[in-house]
Amino acid sequence: MSVVIDKVFALSTKIIALLVLLIVAWIFTVLLQHSMESINAFGFDFLTETKWAPNLEKFGALPAITGSVISTFLAMLLAVPIAIGVAIFLSEIAHHRLKAPVGVSIELLAAIPSVVYGMWGLFYFVPIIRDLFGGLGIGMLTAGIVLAIMILPFMAAVTRDAMDTTPDILKESAYALGATKWDVVKDIIVPYAKAGIIGSLILALGRAIGETMAVTFVMGNVHKISTDLTAPATSIPVTLANEFTEADTDLYFSSLFELSLILLVISFTIISIAKFYFLRRKRSL
Amino acid sequence: MATIIDVPEEKVLHVNNFEFTYASSETPNIKKLSMPIAKNCVTALIGPSGCGKTTLLRSFNRMHDLYPGNTYEGEVLFEGRNILDAKEDLIQLRTKIGMIFQKPTAFPMSIFDNVAYGLRLQGIKNKSELGDRVEKALKDAAIWNEAKDRLKHDANGLSGGQQQRLCIARAIAVEPEVLLFDEPTSALDPISTQGIEMLVSELKERVSIIIVTHNMQQAARVSDYTGFMYLGELIELGETEELFVTPKEKLTEEYITGKFG
Repeated sequence: MSVVIDKVFALSTKIIALLVLLIVAWIFTVLLQHSMESINAFGFDFLTETKWAPNLEKFGALPAITGSVISTFLAMLLAVPIAIGVAIFLSEIAHHRLKAPVGVSIELLAAIPSVVYGMWGLFYFVPIIRDLFGGLGIGMLTAGIVLAIMILPFMAAVTRDAMDTTPDILKESAYALGATKWDVVKDIIVPYAKAGIIGSLILALGRAIGETMAVTFVMGNVHKISTDLTAPATSIPVTLANEFTEADTDLYFSSLFELSLILLVISFTIISIAKFYFLRRKRSL
Repeated sequence: MATIIDVPEEKVLHVNNFEFTYASSETPNIKKLSMPIAKNCVTALIGPSGCGKTTLLRSFNRMHDLYPGNTYEGEVLFEGRNILDAKEDLIQLRTKIGMIFQKPTAFPMSIFDNVAYGLRLQGIKNKSELGDRVEKALKDAAIWNEAKDRLKHDANGLSGGQQQRLCIARAIAVEPEVLLFDEPTSALDPISTQGIEMLVSELKERVSIIIVTHNMQQAARVSDYTGFMYLGELIELGETEELFVTPKEKLTEEYITGKFG
């Protein structure tokens, strides 16, 4: 009897697990299917075309792709050094009485829904950017800052966790040779936790590039590539969030699907790289 | 009470009424402990788990300072000063009093960089000097033959016993006065253990050694003096042979004959 139960249990978990694979394949197929019209109409030009003119039935993804990439890049540029600094402070420098409260607040920050960051950004950061740099205050720079603030807690928390895996005995060995705190951080902790740190950065990158709500408020949804970071711009998720309800033609609709397909491919690539790092780390342990 | 002999040799460390209290403890974990540590000798510390032998060892290079709230009382004299003094330069102290840990602790870097680590911390940048001193340290730690062809390889590729000898090389490269061994062979196989024990006996020509061990045979094999600790107190310190053959204290006798521990 118990053998039968075991078999049934094994089979049911297997089915559930395979279901996940199926859903991924299904999503991909649906996106691809709906993108076909746009793919047939524009081919690879879709990726390089800068015009997005629904009234002319002309769609190019480059402004949205550029917007996604640049806002994410800006966010990483701002967030990475701060997150690593916070992580070093929490794992090695902070007094033990400060460690727990600051650590918990960072985890709480990471739990704030992204739409809240978006609203906060719109009402708080947009005026600041407008006053400092002129323009509308809506655009790539504001989006980058809001994204940075949004991914920072997650990045800091995961980086700290990775650093905390460094065995005490390894750190003590360095201290026992006359190392300072800074020596131990740079020579022992960072190299030891490197894979985990890079993994956390890439996961944060994946989150930033796909982020919708936090940036929809502050991006502007203007399909234009501008060298001015304070000018209104757009990104793939922002375009999708703003325009699906307005897509009145099949080609418009299909182009939006192709955009989401591109986003999916970018995110998949990023997560795969992160996975590769995590897996390699697991094997080496 | 306690039987603590004086040593005829010059003393490299002198412990006077030493007390140590962990942050989490209300009463001292080491109580009013006094003992001499003879220069160029091996002093072993034995005793049941929790007797404070590792705690005492880790006080000599002020390892306890890495964690908040631990307190020292009394004196540990080294080079004419009390190293428990709040003004003691711990970076300097730890280059003079090195430590080998329970498990091999190769850093995540190459074999060469591991051994050069302490030297580089002291600001030695000259390539040929670094090369010479790394080679000498590896030879002194009896691992040169195994390591010389793969100095640039990751140190974690070495076996446990090799890594422990690498750690010894790393510690002696900075030419310390004292080396503290904290159960250095507890994670090693018998052959590697033998290698480390031989090394300890050779190294005492140049450094004074204090070794904490769970293994009484090991203490008997490698040390000149042995101290028996129990519940945070030093019960007996004597010449190793004497302590094991004719212990003066009843507790020592009971411990070494296996009546408790």
